Amino acid sequence: MMRHVFFLLVLLTLFFSGIGCNSVERDLVVESIEKSGTRVYEVFGMDCPGCHGGLEKLVKKLPAVQEAEANWQKKWLVVMVNPEVELNDEDIYDAIRRANFTPGKRIK
Amino acid sequence: MTQSGGQISHQVSVLNSPSEKLAKMKKLLLMILAGAAVNALILENATAGGISVDAGLTPPEDRWIIRTQARYMQRKDDPTTMNQEMETYAFPIVVAYGFRPDLTLMIRQPVKYRKMSMGGSVSRDIGFDDLFVLGKYKLYRRNTREYTFGIASTLGVEFPTGDDDFGSETWDLEPGLFTSWRSGPWASDFSIAYKWNGFADRGKNGLNPGNELSVDLALAHQFSIGEKADMSLTPVLEFNYKHILSDSLSGHNVANTGESLFFVSPGLKFTKSSFILEALVQFPVWQDQEGSQLKQGTRLIVGTRFMF
Repeated sequence: MMRHVFFLLVLLTLFFSGIGCNSVERDLVVESIEKSGTRVYEVFGMDCPGCHGGLEKLVKKLPAVQEAEANWQKKWLVVMVNPEVELNDEDIYDAIRRANFTPGKRIK
Repeated sequence: MTQSGGQISHQVSVLNSPSEKLAKMKKLLLMILAGAAVNALILENATAGGISVDAGLTPPEDRWIIRTQARYMQRKDDPTTMNQEMETYAFPIVVAYGFRPDLTLMIRQPVKYRKMSMGGSVSRDIGFDDLFVLGKYKLYRRNTREYTFGIASTLGVEFPTGDDDFGSETWDLEPGLFTSWRSGPWASDFSIAYKWNGFADRGKNGLNPGNELSVDLALAHQFSIGEKADMSLTPVLEFNYKHILSDSLSGHNVANTGESLFFVSPGLKFTKSSFILEALVQFPVWQDQEGSQLKQGTRLIVGTRFMF
C-alpha cells in the first residue's frame, strides 16, 4: 500500500512540476513578446513548405531580429524585433532579396 | 492579407516554445529515418531512377542543400544470342551551396554497383563514378503575387576521377538552360542540357564517348497538408528525352553505340519544412538504339533532400 502511495506522490510531483515549467516558460515568452516589436512583411516567390527556411536564416542573422517565421502560403514574414536595437525595413527587404524573393508592403 | 496582433503573437509564441522546437526536431529525425528505411526497402527489391524539378530557381544565399538518391537502371532484351542483362544501382550524393543569390555551386559524387549477366555467368562491380562540379547562374527571376518565373543557366564539368569500371576517363563539359514556373499549386520546369564528352582529351584507348543531349519537362501539382501548411504532397509527371551520339575512334563512329530514349515518368514528392522525400518511375515509352544493343528497361529513383 505504502509503495502505491509513494508512487502516486512521485507521479503527482512530476506532473505539477511539469505544469510549473510550462507556465514559467509561457510567462517568459509572453514577457518577451510584450517587450519586443513584431513586424509583418509581404513576401512573393515562396512556393512550397521548404522555401521559407532560407529566408528565415538570412533574416535571423540581423542583430535586431530575435525571431523570424515565414509562411509560404500566406506569403508573409513575421519578425520579432529587439526594440533596443535599430532595424530599418530596408535591412529586411535586402534579406528577402538575397533569398531570391521579392518584398511586398509592410503589413504591421 | 490582414491578421490581428493576437494571432501573430500566438504564432510567434508557438515559435519560441522550446518544447515545440524539440517536438519539431523529433519529427524531423523520425522522417529522416523513415526516408532511409524506404530507400533501403526499395533497393533490396532491386528497382530505381529520377530528375530535378527546381532547376530554374536558384536557392537563397547561404543555403545548403544535401541531396541523396538511389537510382536503379536496367538493360535487357539482348537482340543477340548472348542473352546479356545489366542492372546498375547508382547512389549520387549532391551538395549544393548558395554562394550568392544569383550563383549556386554544386558537387555530385556517385557510387555505383553494377551486375552484368551473360549466359550463365554473372559479374559484379562496385566503385566511384566521375566527380561532377556545376555552377548555376540566375539569369532572370520574377516573383509576383500570382506567379514565380525563373531562368537559370548552368555549366558543369565532369572530372575523370572515377574508378576504371565506371569513370569515362575524359573531361566532360555540360552547359544547360533551365526554366521554372510556379502559380498557386501548379508548377512546371523545363530544362535542356548538352554534355560534351571528352572536350579536352580522349578516353580509354583513344575512344571518345558520344555527346549527350537531354531535354526534360516536369509538371506538378502541390497539395498542402496540415493547418500550418508546413507539409505538402506533390504528384509529378515528367517527360525525359535523351539523345546520345555514337562513340568515336580516330574520327569514325563505333558500331553498336549511340541511342535515343524517351521516358514518361510519374512521381511523388513529400515536403516537410526543410526535408523532401521524392520518388519517380521512368518508363521508356520509345527508344532507338544504333546497331545491336541492350534495350533500356524501367528506371526508378528514390531521393531525399535536406536544406539548411
